[in-house]
Amino acid sequence: MNAAALRWAHRNLFAKPFDTALSLIVIPVLAWVLYAFAVWVLAEARWEVIGGSLKVLMTGIYPAEQLWRAWFALAMLCAMFGAGLGLSVRPGRTALTVVALAGAVVAASAAAVVGAGAGALTAGSAALGIAAWVGVHRSASARRLVLPGLLAGVVAIFAVLSPPGFELWGGLLLSVVLTITVSILTVPFGILLALGRQSRIASLRVICTAYIETMRSVPLILVVYWIWIIVPLLAPDASIPSLLRGMAGYALFFAAYVAEYVRSGLQAVPKGQVEAARSLGMSSWTVNVDIVLPQALRVVVPSLVGQILDIFNGATLVFIIGLTDFLRAGQMILADPQNSGRTYEIYVFLFAVYFAIGGAITFASRRLEAHLARGSR
Amino acid sequence: MSAIQNLPAASSREAIVSIARLNKSFGSFHVLKDVDLDVGRGEVLVVIGASGSGKSTLIRCVNGLEMYQSGRLTVDGFHMPTQADREIGGDRELAEIRRGVGMVFQQFNLFPHMSALDNVAIAPIRVRGRKPDEAKAIALRLLDRVGLREHAHKFPGQLSGGQQQRVAIARSLAMEPRIMLFDEPTSALDPEMVGEVLDVMRELAREGMTMMIVTHEMGFAREVADRVVYIDHGRILEVGSPAEIFDRPSHERTRTFLSRVLRH
Repeated sequence: MNAAALRWAHRNLFAKPFDTALSLIVIPVLAWVLYAFAVWVLAEARWEVIGGSLKVLMTGIYPAEQLWRAWFALAMLCAMFGAGLGLSVRPGRTALTVVALAGAVVAASAAAVVGAGAGALTAGSAALGIAAWVGVHRSASARRLVLPGLLAGVVAIFAVLSPPGFELWGGLLLSVVLTITVSILTVPFGILLALGRQSRIASLRVICTAYIETMRSVPLILVVYWIWIIVPLLAPDASIPSLLRGMAGYALFFAAYVAEYVRSGLQAVPKGQVEAARSLGMSSWTVNVDIVLPQALRVVVPSLVGQILDIFNGATLVFIIGLTDFLRAGQMILADPQNSGRTYEIYVFLFAVYFAIGGAITFASRRLEAHLARGSR
Repeated sequence: MSAIQNLPAASSREAIVSIARLNKSFGSFHVLKDVDLDVGRGEVLVVIGASGSGKSTLIRCVNGLEMYQSGRLTVDGFHMPTQADREIGGDRELAEIRRGVGMVFQQFNLFPHMSALDNVAIAPIRVRGRKPDEAKAIALRLLDRVGLREHAHKFPGQLSGGQQQRVAIARSLAMEPRIMLFDEPTSALDPEMVGEVLDVMRELAREGMTMMIVTHEMGFAREVADRVVYIDHGRILEVGSPAEIFDRPSHERTRTFLSRVLRH
């Protein structure tokens, strides 16, 4: 074992003079950085600030007596993520242990910082997610229910969260719900745009192409801001909440990218597939829905899942229209003079959470890619 | 007038496909030139010719996968719209024609995301509006007929080329076509798999299916064809019984072509 470790080190770190020199410089520097960081995390950082402001970080100014709604959303989101995972990742013993441990650590932290009730609710949500994962993976009939289930989940989250008012949504909850809603809205819209771009009807083709190219050549923030401003001008009496206007902006913007992904998928379907379907007498609608799109989307799914990450990271820009997302909530806490010295703690926490969620999405996307590649043969 | 007038007509049979003065170009390349051809109901017609002679294009015109510019083409009583008709949306009859015409491709073109059974059942469900259970029962019978009942739940990627092509034939048969087109059905197959596909086609011919076949399998053509058509540079040069074409070709170019393909 020791000999193997030595051999590995020799081959990878000290094989040539240059490697050796580089290793001798990099390894001590890295060790020192890690050590300093660990000392800071364990001894110097004042993590109470996170505990004290966790409610704001997670839900913004959502009314405290209505927090059960946010807990419902958390449970729902865990179940939805679990169900999605069940489609592509086998809940093997190692994977289950890792996820259960992660859930337990988060739940224990919640219990320690906020209270036993919060810990129990977090643990319950994690357990629900794991149950959905295993359940969907085990049962073929559950697998068919995943897509309608995800849509119903989003609707339920909206229905439960909205009564106190959209303007009160905030924190990580806002970032996540915005990401999921926009991700789901962009898919049908993007598919229609991609099909429109290939249409035989010239006017449709020109409109779709112009839309896609316009959206792709302007910055996200501009589109979001522009929609936010223009909607009240077009419908002065409607008073549509900022959050919905913001979601519309994100959806309109990212749909153009979805359209381009879908188009690449459509081009990957061999011409013979369309000819075979046509020669069986299928209408263009049937050819698209039953033959072309299932094959095209299979190619595109990993990119679409990857795009969820773009939307999630892009969601930090909603502060421009006055919404308080996760990042903005952290800055609000730092604006309180009482927390003035806690900049590092807050930003390290934000980094860790963004990294954990982004990592989970990347992991899911990779696994899905491998899973689909295996399925298609 | 052209030599075609002197050639034997489609015996006494009633014509199911009737082609007259058909012209087809890809841009400036004139692929089919004044083609006249009738195919009788129940007839097996084999089209031969060098690659690039237009034989595939000809049968692809019969189910509208290629558009023709001028001439007249009727299939089972329906008039196939010309390119000009189709550009202004006159393709209602096209859908009618395709429902009655099956097509088997060189590259099989099975739907890779469906099992063999679903490949066969999908068109009756979506096009004819059959109930899924009913369509699958029929599909299973058809797969049995091509000897693949036990492979019904496999996906195309798990089947050999010969098996895929037999599924493709069953898929076409599921629409109960009145005529079947075969576009070089064995050209993409390994030699040991050619036989199994030809057996299925032979069986179909025996049952009286009207077939138009583009193939390089001259032995098979001689055996099953009622008539053989030789196409050269987009023109029908000779039509006749297998014996007439293979043993007593009247054109020098037919002789040259046959001597080239029959030598090995």
